[in-house]
Amino acid sequence: MLLHYVLRRLAFFIGAMFIASVLIFVLIRAAGGNVAAVVLGRDASPEAINALATEYGLDRPWAVQYLDWITGMMGGDLGQSFRTGESVADLVVSRLPISVPLAGAGLVLAILIAIPAGTYAARNAGRSSGTLIALISQIGIAVPVFWAGVLLSLLFGVQLGWLPTGGWTPWNVSVLGAIQSLVLPVLALGLVMAASLSRYVRTAVLDVMNQDYVRTARATGMSQTRALLTVGLPNAALPIVTFLGLLIAELIGGTVIIETVFSLPGLSRMILSNVAAREVIVVQSTVMLIIVFVMFVNLVVDLLYGLLDPRIRVAG
Amino acid sequence: MPQADTSNQNATVPEASPHRRRRRRISNASLLVGLALTSVFFIIALVSFFYVPHDPNMPDVRNRLLPFGSPGHLFGTDVLGRDIASQLMVGAQTSLLVGVGGAAIALVLGTIAGLAAASSGKLVDETIMRGADVLLSIPGIVTALVLAATIGSGAGTTILALTAFFTPSFTRVIRSAALTVLEENYITAARLYGRDRIFILARHVVPNIAGVMIVQFTLYFAVGILVESSLSYLGVGVSRPSMSWGLILNEAQQQVGVSSPLAMWPGLAIVLVVLGLNLLGDGLRDVLDPKLNGRRS
Repeated sequence: MLLHYVLRRLAFFIGAMFIASVLIFVLIRAAGGNVAAVVLGRDASPEAINALATEYGLDRPWAVQYLDWITGMMGGDLGQSFRTGESVADLVVSRLPISVPLAGAGLVLAILIAIPAGTYAARNAGRSSGTLIALISQIGIAVPVFWAGVLLSLLFGVQLGWLPTGGWTPWNVSVLGAIQSLVLPVLALGLVMAASLSRYVRTAVLDVMNQDYVRTARATGMSQTRALLTVGLPNAALPIVTFLGLLIAELIGGTVIIETVFSLPGLSRMILSNVAAREVIVVQSTVMLIIVFVMFVNLVVDLLYGLLDPRIRVAG
Repeated sequence: MPQADTSNQNATVPEASPHRRRRRRISNASLLVGLALTSVFFIIALVSFFYVPHDPNMPDVRNRLLPFGSPGHLFGTDVLGRDIASQLMVGAQTSLLVGVGGAAIALVLGTIAGLAAASSGKLVDETIMRGADVLLSIPGIVTALVLAATIGSGAGTTILALTAFFTPSFTRVIRSAALTVLEENYITAARLYGRDRIFILARHVVPNIAGVMIVQFTLYFAVGILVESSLSYLGVGVSRPSMSWGLILNEAQQQVGVSSPLAMWPGLAIVLVVLGLNLLGDGLRDVLDPKLNGRRS
């Protein structure tokens, strides 16, 4: 049964990636017009346009180009930039030392804040202290992540002068400098994500608190805290794990925005500037990489879920 | 006619516990505060179609960087002397238009897809829901970037991106709400009476899930405003001469140090409107849809 479940999820993962890749390819090619002409600009001669199109294989049928792109991606060849000729894989890898620590630390900070805050709010539901936490997270959800970034950089960067308001010091130049340039972005990202996450934790804990098995555990003489930790937490973990899967999409969106706020030359800055420059191959491959990543996380979450909860793998 | 559940009519009504009374009070308060904030925002947006104090794009070099409360320029002016109050008012239009547009189109599409999935056989149901799963795993911001790269940025593109982003979520929620209704006895009765599927869906299912639809619409309206302002801030949303709160913030950040109050107002506007809509949605949920209490989409 477990094997059946795993195979089903794997089949869906592969099918979903196929659909997403076709969608992206067709969308970009259909609306992009003559890619070579757009890249070379208005003054380019027809010969130059044709030469570039031939060089990058843009004059071949779409189906061939698609197959070429997909087989290349599977072998790790993400294509090249038209303008600079750099390989997309190198471009992506060079941006990861900024984007990955930013997103990772932001997520960790959000979890570290949200789990205690959400649990506290649930246990004190109906009292003013619990309501206050719920209210704060309600307001936090309404704060756009870029505004949080702008406010933090105004306060700690401009007013107090403690941290840089933006820009990037590479890790190999100064580790301390790199960390300093990440502190405010991580704070902004983590605080804003903590708001929606803590609301979710609160609901999950409230649900569990009202279950019979927690009451039974309490009846055996366990304290509320102990009952929640030993019986409640494993049960509340399931919905929270699911939500973390959904949160990945939010995390990527937030990272894109925060990198812009603090002028960090990360992955999303690269995508944005390539969108503006109509670098079709770069955008297509990078976007596909992000989607594969998100789908992979969702696959892992699904598998974990099936592993943790037998009912789900039976129902499929 | 849809029948109400009469099974517990004779049961004694339990005394409201202090906890429950408190809950009710909180939900009434959030409904009222939410309604008030949302109304103010709608009124400002509507007024701005007919009247703004100044042209939000008109530079006025003699009145650059006026502070808050200056005569004629209540919220002051930016680095080019453009009136901030007018920019904020016209920005409300964009938020309203894009938020309502994206949420409304997605609601219509999601209702059609969700009802079709709930009322059809396993094959159609699976196809629609797995399709929704695929769309859900593409981050909204990525969709928006791809669309901006291909068809160019603007309010229309933003609405399209929001539609692609919201429709699968609506489909899921509508489907599960419709499935519950479809199990009711009055549906079986209507079926036995010979009513066809479309009639049953339109006449019996939709009115019974209207509460869920209204609540979801309100909450996604709020998300739409957040996404629109983010995209405009990134430079892939609306741009001048159109106006957006995100755009004002983007311009303000480039003048940080010179005019930091400028960064306060648009952010505050976004927070108040989104908070208002979320409170309204939560309050409405408690009134319209007691079964979904405390659960978020």
